[in-house]
Amino acid sequence: MRISNILLMVIFPTAALAEWETNMPRGVTPTSEVAYDLHMLIFYITVVIGIVVFGAMLYSILYHRKSLGHKPAKFHESTKVEIIWTVIPFIILVGMAVPATKALIMMEDTRDSEITLKVTGYQWMWQYEYLEDNVTFFSKIADESNAARRLGSGVDVTTVDNYLRDVDHAVVLPTNTKVRILLTANDVIHAWWVPELGGKKDAIPGYVNEIWVDIKEPGTYRGQCAELCGKDHGFMPIVVHAVSKPEYYKWVGIQKTNRVAKNK
Amino acid sequence: MSTDIDKLHDDHDHGPSSGIMRWITTTNHKDIGTMYLWFSLIMFFIGGLMALVIRAELFQPGLQLVIPGFFNQMTTMHALVMIFGAVMPAFVGLANWQLPIMIGAPDMALPRLNNWSFWILPFAFTMMLSTLFMESGGPAAGWTLYPPLSLQGGDSFPFTILAIHMLGVSSILGAINVIATILNMRAPGMTLMKMPIFVWTWLITAFLLIASMPVLAGAVTMLLTDKFFGTMFFTASGGGDPVMFQHIFWFFGHPEVYILILPAFGIVSTIIPAFSRKRLFGYDSMVYATASIALLSFIVWAHHMFTVGMPLAGEIFFMFTTMLIAIPTGVKVFNWVATMWRGSMTFETPMLFAIAFIVLFTIGGFSGLMLAMVPADFQYHDTYFVVAHFHYVLVPGAVFAIMAAVYYWLPKWTGKMYNEGLGKLHFWLTTIFVNLTFFPMHFVGLAGMPRRIPDYAVQFADFNAIASVGAFGFGLSQLLFVYILFNTLKKDVTAEDKVWDGAEGLEWTLSSPPPYHSFEKAPKVD
Amino acid sequence: MSSFKKTYLSLTFFTIFMFSFSYMLVPLYDIFCEITGLNGKTNQERVLVVNENPSERFVTVKFTSTVANSAPFTFEPIDREMVVQVGKIYNTFYTLTNNTTSVKHATASPSVVPHEDAEYFKKIECFCFSQQQINGLETKELPLQFIIDNELDNDTRTLILSYTMFNTTDQIGSK
Repeated sequence: MRISNILLMVIFPTAALAEWETNMPRGVTPTSEVAYDLHMLIFYITVVIGIVVFGAMLYSILYHRKSLGHKPAKFHESTKVEIIWTVIPFIILVGMAVPATKALIMMEDTRDSEITLKVTGYQWMWQYEYLEDNVTFFSKIADESNAARRLGSGVDVTTVDNYLRDVDHAVVLPTNTKVRILLTANDVIHAWWVPELGGKKDAIPGYVNEIWVDIKEPGTYRGQCAELCGKDHGFMPIVVHAVSKPEYYKWVGIQKTNRVAKNK
Repeated sequence: MSTDIDKLHDDHDHGPSSGIMRWITTTNHKDIGTMYLWFSLIMFFIGGLMALVIRAELFQPGLQLVIPGFFNQMTTMHALVMIFGAVMPAFVGLANWQLPIMIGAPDMALPRLNNWSFWILPFAFTMMLSTLFMESGGPAAGWTLYPPLSLQGGDSFPFTILAIHMLGVSSILGAINVIATILNMRAPGMTLMKMPIFVWTWLITAFLLIASMPVLAGAVTMLLTDKFFGTMFFTASGGGDPVMFQHIFWFFGHPEVYILILPAFGIVSTIIPAFSRKRLFGYDSMVYATASIALLSFIVWAHHMFTVGMPLAGEIFFMFTTMLIAIPTGVKVFNWVATMWRGSMTFETPMLFAIAFIVLFTIGGFSGLMLAMVPADFQYHDTYFVVAHFHYVLVPGAVFAIMAAVYYWLPKWTGKMYNEGLGKLHFWLTTIFVNLTFFPMHFVGLAGMPRRIPDYAVQFADFNAIASVGAFGFGLSQLLFVYILFNTLKKDVTAEDKVWDGAEGLEWTLSSPPPYHSFEKAPKVD
Repeated sequence: MSSFKKTYLSLTFFTIFMFSFSYMLVPLYDIFCEITGLNGKTNQERVLVVNENPSERFVTVKFTSTVANSAPFTFEPIDREMVVQVGKIYNTFYTLTNNTTSVKHATASPSVVPHEDAEYFKKIECFCFSQQQINGLETKELPLQFIIDNELDNDTRTLILSYTMFNTTDQIGSK
């Protein structure tokens, strides 16, 4: 990984995106897209500010040195300048705050969801309950990953498919449907996070939180617990299969038929 | 004014006691400053060792070295040691050495309290670190101690809480001492707006300490009583709320991070003018900006908790206040650049660290601004993006400032000049490795790697490997720093009074090293 | 008094104040939650006087349940979903089963989403926070009587009430 590659990744993240996993995914929901767009906007603004400020510093370092015989100037204050470089950043911030606030209002609006998925965080797995259809199951890290990750397992983890990001019983959701996701926990605080679906909220014992997703593209989306919850915090992944509505209802039908007993 | 100083000064003119009793019983601010600094250096290596355990495990995917429970103990202790054992004591050490001689005072206002404030620390940390050897291990819920997880802690829990209380007492007493000294013992003619900027930043920091550390004490006491005495502050069944802990903790926690950086700002504001041979640009503005940052720091705390499920109005409020705090911070950066601008710069080691601070701290500030944007923060929160952010502001931020200060003032304290070539080498190695360690963390965080995990999915492997290599390089480079320190102390060559030709301030009027009791008579300040 | 003593006194007072302030945050947090409905905390006090004032609006109320810390209980709502008229009183209940053979104590804690609408979900009779004693293998019905306040935001069409049941057998005492 050469320095030039790193610099390229910093300045041209879109090029870097696909192969090098250096940037946030744009994701497949309105919330993930708005988060990504805001992220890139702020990033570019900070790059520009950085170029200006560090550019000035670099110039000064190169030319305002004693070794070149440069004599120090006498100025040491200017109210006018202080006002300018207070007001201009303020204006830039207002420019950032407007899209950010709009995005946030949109992200927090869970109204008129068609389906409600209740997620309960356990030490160390997830329980899912589809409220309308009364389908419930636990979802644990897949056996292959779980065995490979043990200290001294002897397994080369690069041979395990979706190492640490595969489960025994995945969530299935329909595409193009507003889904409300309720979050709570059995024991300690967890957090449910699938980067490509956008949004993240803590799962807190005794309380419910909510987020919403509307998955535009079918596919498999993987995530992890995002709040330290004990020793196996890193080993309770999330898998969401997004499928067409008819396929989703077919899956629900099958779940109802084989009511899987709670297994821990 | 002079009567008060005479009262404080005991009527003796002997030098320090000899042997170990000197250090146990000293009430001299220079001795106590020295002890704080050595303690901080030792803790820096202990915390660093823990970081290397973490980075060694994270070098490759899969678990190779430690079990997950122990890994969590390492991340928890690494933070507690670095924050409370390395950075804060280092700044207090610098305060002890520098504040009296910068304001022309003979010592701190309460010299015996000063001694106690220091000696609490080794005891507190011995207790805290010993929990790692308990059967149930040390604290493993993160330095933020969120319940209910922290309440699942084993035998280490009460000891950790007690240690935190002791550290809090040490900090609070130290802060009272600092404020009393600065407000009451300045040499005649030194008005507040004539004080060296480092003194200003420490004055403000001391107020932050007194305002925030007691709140931490309250929060951890609530944890203790929840676990042992049947209170229900943080349990829903009793009408409590785990999120309330987070609010109380971060009400302390946010001012705490400014406690970790304001003295650094003061150091940089001292060093840049000295090596630019030009007065600090906008002194008044710098003072107001520092004060604004301190005040604003009390109304931004929930930006550490954007994912708890706050009402929309709360999220918007804290987003705005967090963005706002970027303004005085930016003003400070611009002022430093304006100080350099058209100066006559030389680039000795302190200046190199100070310039690197400005660049790299600002990068940390940029990621901080990104984190402030709540919709985006939902993707950053609890990922390595946050880890990258705070390490940039703390390592090439606070730690670089401390190193800059040590190189800058070491010749004054010891009377011996360090080896400039080695100093520069230490700087370059440190800077290269610090970036190698922490820059890739931005990438893996954005790509989806959560924090506080001992093992990760294979797509995060490359950057983690780089970060681990960087961490080991960084750690080894600090051995060079220790070598430089000991090498300097062994030397025969004495340094001048005014070590650096661009340096200003009362300390440079004293000999190098200064007399054991300096400014027994207050100097005149114009 | 010397300026030093003044400094010490005021700073010591300030320290003590900030310590007590952290404890003051506890009731302040509760008051703030009650006023704003932050994190879904519903009214702690039972509503004593209720005037039914049925409006034209109907909203959907969903009921869900969680058993905390894998306690040996089965805890389910009888009605999973109700379409209710705003301003009218309704009754439902939850069932709690003790799956062990010994006596247990259990306490439930409620939470409503959307959080900002929690204050309009008024519980007239509920089992929130009251410790239930339940014998081995017994099943109890826990009644809930509620009314959706007319002040409910016009845009809200669905409310979800969640109860979490805790095993409080070992607790010294709870509310």
